[in-house]
Amino acid sequence: MKSRSAVLMAALALAASALPAGAQGFKPTRPIEFVTHTGPGGGGDVLARGIAAAMEKEKLLPVRMQVQNKTGGGGLTAMAYLAEKKGDTHTIAVFTSVWYTVPLMREEAKFTMKDLTPIVRLVIEPALVVVKADSPYKSLKDFIDAAKAAPGQLKWSGGSIGSRDWMVRQVLMKSTGTNWAFISFPGGGERIAAVLGGHVNMMVIEPQEAGEHIRAGNMRVIAQVADKRLAAFPNIPTIQEAGFNIPTVRQVRGIVAPPGIAPEVVAYWEDVFARFVKTASWKKYLEENLFDDGFQRSAELGKSGEEQDEFTRIILKEGGVKVAR
Amino acid sequence: METLGYLLHGFGVAISPMNLLWCFIGCFLGTVIGILPGLGPAATIAMLLPLTFQMNPTSALIMLGGIYYGSKYGGSTTSILLNVPGESASVVTCIDGYEMAKKGRAGPALGIAAIASFIAGTFGVVGLMLIAPPLAKFALAFSSPEYFGLMALGLAMGVLLAGESMTKALLAMLVGLWIASMGTDLFTSTSRFTFGNSEMLDGVDFVVVAIGVFALGEVLGNMEIREGTQMLPVPKGWRNLLPTWQDMKDCRFAFVNGSVVGFFIGVLPGAGSTIASFISYGIEKAVSKHPEKFGTGVVEGVAAPEGANNAETGGALVPMLTLGIPGSGTTAILLAALILWGLKPGPLMIQDNPQLFWGLVASMYIGNVMLLVLNMPLVPLFAQILRLPVYILYPVIFGISIVGVYSTSSSLFDTWMLVVFGLLGYLMRKLDYPSAPLILGLVLGDSMERALRQSLMMSQGDLSILVSRPISATMLFLTALILFAPLFKKANAWRIKAIS
Repeated sequence: MKSRSAVLMAALALAASALPAGAQGFKPTRPIEFVTHTGPGGGGDVLARGIAAAMEKEKLLPVRMQVQNKTGGGGLTAMAYLAEKKGDTHTIAVFTSVWYTVPLMREEAKFTMKDLTPIVRLVIEPALVVVKADSPYKSLKDFIDAAKAAPGQLKWSGGSIGSRDWMVRQVLMKSTGTNWAFISFPGGGERIAAVLGGHVNMMVIEPQEAGEHIRAGNMRVIAQVADKRLAAFPNIPTIQEAGFNIPTVRQVRGIVAPPGIAPEVVAYWEDVFARFVKTASWKKYLEENLFDDGFQRSAELGKSGEEQDEFTRIILKEGGVKVAR
Repeated sequence: METLGYLLHGFGVAISPMNLLWCFIGCFLGTVIGILPGLGPAATIAMLLPLTFQMNPTSALIMLGGIYYGSKYGGSTTSILLNVPGESASVVTCIDGYEMAKKGRAGPALGIAAIASFIAGTFGVVGLMLIAPPLAKFALAFSSPEYFGLMALGLAMGVLLAGESMTKALLAMLVGLWIASMGTDLFTSTSRFTFGNSEMLDGVDFVVVAIGVFALGEVLGNMEIREGTQMLPVPKGWRNLLPTWQDMKDCRFAFVNGSVVGFFIGVLPGAGSTIASFISYGIEKAVSKHPEKFGTGVVEGVAAPEGANNAETGGALVPMLTLGIPGSGTTAILLAALILWGLKPGPLMIQDNPQLFWGLVASMYIGNVMLLVLNMPLVPLFAQILRLPVYILYPVIFGISIVGVYSTSSSLFDTWMLVVFGLLGYLMRKLDYPSAPLILGLVLGDSMERALRQSLMMSQGDLSILVSRPISATMLFLTALILFAPLFKKANAWRIKAIS
């Protein structure tokens, strides 16, 4: 037995010495499994496939990336899948804000973002507050005043509880002491149809989705959910500029890895994505979708993630949602 | 006559050799994935998206469009031959289609499905071309109360799907509604009937239930019959494998019904092809001279839902192309594709890119002809599958079902759920419960509940919102009519008896 383990040790030592010093010991050797929680065509999936294609085109990785759709449970299935791959250096995933929110709300969740290894944050998605073009509300203040005059009567269309549009409403209602109805539609198309058909008064929408409706004169923007004004809408105030002192509710996307990943592997991935965000294809993607570059490295992402967690927890509690953990 | 000029221009685009080739590739792929249960057009288009980046957007849209409407042609194949609904919209086709196959009329059933698909698919394109902009306004007039009315009307169709016992049909429907309520409550984000499983948070996938109850239930039920070498009858000779003139004549109304119902329901972003197929089947049965024969293998029972299912694609493209609002999973991905190609879907897209819209419309005329030509020769070929002895055929159905479910979600949990629903289907057969009402309840339950609760949120809890709006009031009135018609019929029969 002794001699066999000695041989093993020798082999390991040999293998270690063969690695180049600069790469600090990690380089992927087989295709990367790239997990997303949305089905083919969903937001996360499109981003994942876009990244995989660009990585190949720019030759940033020695191996291919294979997109794996692990749908279900609002991201929980994908998170559990990743958590079970503990220590796997050839698996990474695209995360979005729901990976922070859903585990807070659901008893069924077995893992949270804290269990996974943060790699990088890539995107911050701004949003717009819009009304139908013939709406009497010319500014956010008009809407809030009307809501004050008729509490509970006005309506927003949006996604489910815990989504970004719901959170924007929660913080706005709290800071102004008003309230209005939030009507959930699962599909983005239905939310827009509800505004254009005049069935609801307002909605929070992604700039890219709203662009053409604004250009056609069907929709009007009255405020932006962003830290600074978007280049495409230089004359529209942010919510803060419009006189409402609330924190910006951020929607983020980025990359995480399974738990138990060695620091040199994290460093490798950080480095790959740091080079990736400088490519022309990535800049074009951000520009086309009117997204902000939200690049953050692993340590910063871990910290901003905790802040996001805390922020979400407070809003959920105030909104009367049972927080699971 | 502006339209004609545009259309000619569109044909100029679509008829170029390259675009014809792309159209053919799309239609061919669509037929293949339509036949395979599980893999649907949405997933296929998503997987092919990266390949389209190098293509000219018009050609790419022509190809992806071909996959979309082509998949509807193939969808009926496994429903008719194997009782395996390949997609939600072909569930209704199983009811009469599989019965026809059991009687040795699989060929005519497949043939009529292809012909109905062609007629209704073409009608859908005509509708898309002529009345897209005004229809888009109609779609916007629909909101939650109207959808509630529509769903109520759809659910009332369950009454018409009942076999011998109305009570059993309604019980099956209630089970369907219960399954639909599983998962996450959209409005409060609380879990319902998840039993602590995170896999259950998204509810139960429709495909799992449909394949389990229909296909596995059928296989399990038939395994009890000991004559292992028995085969389904397949008549010899090509002619007997195609629909007869009498079949075509019987389907005259079904073609119109399927086309119109499918197209208009397709236009509504919150409805979908499954509802369209159920409603057109219900209408067909309601106006039929021999409603009692439905469910025993009548050809109209295949033609109407298959037609509706195809006309729906033309309708669903209306809000997507004129407003940038997707109404279904597949149109949502097509919309994502347009954005990735650098186009801006929205109210101005047709105006800004006429060659794209008119090229697509023209290619859809061509594509529907291609699909008919492609599918008709396949009919006798597919009908031969039933020549397989039962002891080979049933394991094959079993395998196809499991692969179909696993390929949609790649989840073993769903595969186990399939087994559970297979057993449920088996029990329902043994106890003589119809399975179609269960599926109808499952499909409509979710959207109906949502529409009702959205309406009540809009009206702050006032139920009168459902009857104070003209469209929803009309639909609820029709619903009441369907529900009470059997009572009147009974009363009348009784009165006639009393007089004579």
